[in-house]
Amino acid sequence: MEYSNLQRQAASLKKSLFDQGYLDEQFCQIEYLQDEASPNFTEEVVSLFFENSTRLMTNIEQAMEKNPRDFSRWDVNMQQLKGSCSSIGASRMKNECTSFRNICGDENAEGCMRSFQNLKREHGVLRQKLESYFQVLRQAGPAVTAARPRGM
Amino acid sequence: MAGAAAERKVIRVLLVEDEEIHRVLARALLRSAVGGVELDEAGTGAEAVRRVRDGGAGAYDLIITDGKMPVMDGHEIRAMGVTTPIVGLSSDTLPPDVDTFIKAGADDFTPKPLSKEKLVRILAKFNLA
Repeated sequence: MEYSNLQRQAASLKKSLFDQGYLDEQFCQIEYLQDEASPNFTEEVVSLFFENSTRLMTNIEQAMEKNPRDFSRWDVNMQQLKGSCSSIGASRMKNECTSFRNICGDENAEGCMRSFQNLKREHGVLRQKLESYFQVLRQAGPAVTAARPRGM
Repeated sequence: MAGAAAERKVIRVLLVEDEEIHRVLARALLRSAVGGVELDEAGTGAEAVRRVRDGGAGAYDLIITDGKMPVMDGHEIRAMGVTTPIVGLSSDTLPPDVDTFIKAGADDFTPKPLSKEKLVRILAKFNLA
């Protein structure tokens, strides 16, 4: 009984991630790649994403501090982060990256600062939600299959 | 090129990408989604050119490359004399971004992230499926 509850909890957590726009279809594509040979593939890729995105965001923050108004440099760094976000379907983060780059194109430094703060917030929230999801998945065991939540 | 691949029965693809997460996904995609494909990887355009030259004529059936990378961009690979079909891969998908790849000599473009559907389309386009 407890096992089924955990499965339902995992499914519910995942559905909310989609419903609230944190994740898109790409996340399901990653889950579909998980198999017996790579049973933790999704979590490994997400872990890699957060290592990568943390590093990229540190680079961006340093670039904004040390190279004020170097919009070209900021944009190049943000392009990398956007690509990384798209790889796991981190939809809200990806959209904020796009927003930042548009503001960068307008050479609006203050706007970029605000956008970057939004991005940091989204990053933190996504990390927390995915950590919760994977924690429940681990407890639920391997029977929870990869699929887009119903109704999405 | 397609004839050589058919005789070998294995398609050799070179992925040029500096970010590990994209390489990890491509490996998994090619392993699960498409059979008979061997994947090599290069982290820069310069390394890609070196691998192509070291491998000799027909070393790869296809190169899938990111745009901006350290040392040498993917846009510069064709200019270094590589004749293998090249597909540009980027999260920047506006027409000017795609044009940059095509004008640099890429044969096609696909937006990041790679997916099974995109890979199948690309391989079919170059008669590699």
